[in-house]
Amino acid sequence: MALASPVIDELRRAVGRDHVITSPDDLRIFERDGSIEGVAPDAVVLPANTQEVAAAMKVAARHNVPIVPRGAGTGLSGGAVTIHGGIALQVTRMRRILEIDPIAETALVEPGVVNQELSIAAATHHLFYAPDPSSQKACTIGGNAAENSGGPHCLYYGVTTNHVLGMEVVFADGSVRWVTGDAPDRAGLDLCGLLVGSEGTLCAITKIKVRLLRIPPSIATLMAAFPTIEDASQAVSAVIGGGIVPSALEMMDNVTVGAVEAHYRAGYPTDAGAVLLVEVDGVPESTRELMAAIRDILARNHGYAMREAATQAERDLLWAGRKGAIGALGRIKPNYYLHDGVVPRSRLPQILSSVGEIGQHYKLPVANVFHAGDGNLHPNLLFDLRDKGVLEQVEAAGEEMLRAVVEMGGALSGEHGIGLEKNAFMPWIYSEADLDAMKRVKAALDPRGILNPGKIFPDPSRPRAHLAGRTGFAAEAQWW
Amino acid sequence: MVAIEVAKPATQEELARTLKEAASAGRAVVPVGGGRASGMGGVVERCDVELQTTRLDRVIEHAPADMVVTVEAGITLEELQAELAKAGQFLPIDPFNSPGHTVGGLLATGWSGPLRLRFGSARDFLIGIRVALPDGSLATAGGRVVKNVSGYDLMKLHHGALGSLGVIVAASFKVFPRALHDMTVESHGGWDAAEAALATAMMPCAVELFSDGRVLARFLGSRDAVNHIVHGLGWTEVDSAVWAEHSRRSFDRWARITVPRSDLRRVVESLGPASEWWASPGAGMAHWRLGDVDAAIDARRLAEACGGSLVLLAAPDDIKRRLGAWGTPPPTLDVMRRLKAAFDPDGVLNPGRFLV
Repeated sequence: MALASPVIDELRRAVGRDHVITSPDDLRIFERDGSIEGVAPDAVVLPANTQEVAAAMKVAARHNVPIVPRGAGTGLSGGAVTIHGGIALQVTRMRRILEIDPIAETALVEPGVVNQELSIAAATHHLFYAPDPSSQKACTIGGNAAENSGGPHCLYYGVTTNHVLGMEVVFADGSVRWVTGDAPDRAGLDLCGLLVGSEGTLCAITKIKVRLLRIPPSIATLMAAFPTIEDASQAVSAVIGGGIVPSALEMMDNVTVGAVEAHYRAGYPTDAGAVLLVEVDGVPESTRELMAAIRDILARNHGYAMREAATQAERDLLWAGRKGAIGALGRIKPNYYLHDGVVPRSRLPQILSSVGEIGQHYKLPVANVFHAGDGNLHPNLLFDLRDKGVLEQVEAAGEEMLRAVVEMGGALSGEHGIGLEKNAFMPWIYSEADLDAMKRVKAALDPRGILNPGKIFPDPSRPRAHLAGRTGFAAEAQWW
Repeated sequence: MVAIEVAKPATQEELARTLKEAASAGRAVVPVGGGRASGMGGVVERCDVELQTTRLDRVIEHAPADMVVTVEAGITLEELQAELAKAGQFLPIDPFNSPGHTVGGLLATGWSGPLRLRFGSARDFLIGIRVALPDGSLATAGGRVVKNVSGYDLMKLHHGALGSLGVIVAASFKVFPRALHDMTVESHGGWDAAEAALATAMMPCAVELFSDGRVLARFLGSRDAVNHIVHGLGWTEVDSAVWAEHSRRSFDRWARITVPRSDLRRVVESLGPASEWWASPGAGMAHWRLGDVDAAIDARRLAEACGGSLVLLAAPDDIKRRLGAWGTPPPTLDVMRRLKAAFDPDGVLNPGRFLV
């Protein structure tokens, strides 16, 4: 559905002629995010500021055209895909860090600021921004806020919503508003908390005020091997049950360890059923004492070959294996599909064994690399796109895995979002009344449904879920 | 205000039915938990049915290994903490005017206490919620896992909404392991001492300052680290029972002041040397024994000028009417009203009490 020329003209007036893209070749660049399914937008607008976002929103509202906010396009659930066409609202020109307040320990940023750039800028003041999705070298704070992104260090520090103090947003009618602010407990409803994680379906975000934290004086990182995934899972529960919440607690299974070790030589024992990376931070007295306690607990749970990084270079190497795991999986198969689900932590051994069985049933190798401390699993289904019919197998296996997650009392997504990938599955976890309550919010804030249609809620025009989770050529993936 | 009828439903479904019947007859419903925050907000315009949640007091599930608990809304915080303590766990919230807060009441009012400095308010560890709506439906959001982005975060919407969008009937929380070491120290050094505690290399989990210049700081963590930091501060160690004593504090008429934390000292000092208050300097909050109306107007003006608020927690009706419970409405009031209309179209929930 091409946009009528008056719409294009109005968009050009809203953001400037040079910042509206309409040529089909150029539009194709914007058809996907980090997932497989893509539909090209009918136009891309690249606003430079809040007023231009509001002007573009008003054009969409006037003509009842879908409009989909978009950051770096690294999302993994199709959140930024213009599945019903319309306008992609690309915010990456809005990439200024407007203020870092070292006294209040806050930052005010535009939505296109890259996650890692904020931490680098804040480091001058010995501060950092805690949420650290693995795509942090590329993903934007605006996208993070829209998706309520997580990351390895969210175990201790909390996810994006715990760090956003307030936002300037543009609602579907083009009105510009501040929600919440610097002071805690403002009178009225917590609109900011509602809008973070709403996946671009309730507003476009134009400024974000975030909390910064002080860089801890000391960090300790430990790698430990375990004979089996069960042992490693038990160790995870024992550490946290023992009163210690590490800043990160990550697990890799044997398949991953083998591929990573061949690639990075990070020193992971390849005979291990699973490897844990445990990190604690704080004052040196604290990290020393906690690490000693953690070593004890891991040893009691059959941990072996434990190695603590003695230098920053060693720490980087231990993390390089974890962060580059997906790329390394290319040694096994050229393509992968990365899933995201959460189970109660005690169900980890059970879900991992189910995931393994499902993989075997579909003859798909599965590699697990995930945030064990949160119970947030990320099975990677490995395949070769050249094999006929393999995508259908991958899709079916993924759906079965998600079923297993839900049957164990889990959630459809821990940090990637529902988007297009899982909207058809929402009735698995929510009743009609539950979904109706969410739809009331949508109808109240975007009565005509122009903001990111076809996401979160089951879409009658697309009754089946589609393979939208991250797929790609494994060898190309440097991060995720 | 005296209710015409008091309902004490024994199940979530019964509560939802009672609510629906009242709503469809256009009767005003005032939800009540432990009644510890019953003075908060504006004067209730009508109360046809007082809907008490205290019979909904079950622990639905406590999974110690998952560090998650699901409870009905009428359970008191103390009962919940006792259950969690059996597994060496706790919910990091210590509201003032304790004991007797129900979980539902805490969520509806959004109250917090000193531990907010480290753990945030309940909004930060509330992972699931179930709410009865005026149409009789029971709507759940979130779940029982610690990390979840499945659908809208309606937990945030109901937290602090004072029951104006629905009646909270159950909630799930992420719980925390009891710390390895828990130490409290005291000083009489006023604001400067509080700032010194906040500037230590190990962030304290609570720093409370009183109008007489006394400061309490609490450190949780590893023994060596806590001892090291506390030694560096050079304050006097006190029994941790001071926190239970502190959480019992309230005034017969009082207000909560919240401002960006860098403005708190200035705003609180403006209350005058004779004023009575306690402050959480790291969080940007203070609780103040309400002075006369003019003093409250001045304090509110100052708080609002730096982006904060002054909210009445308890005051006689005539003072509430003169001052207004909430202060200047936020510029998003129209958005809030649309949400209110979506959930409570006839305005039967707590009429007059909340901002919308």
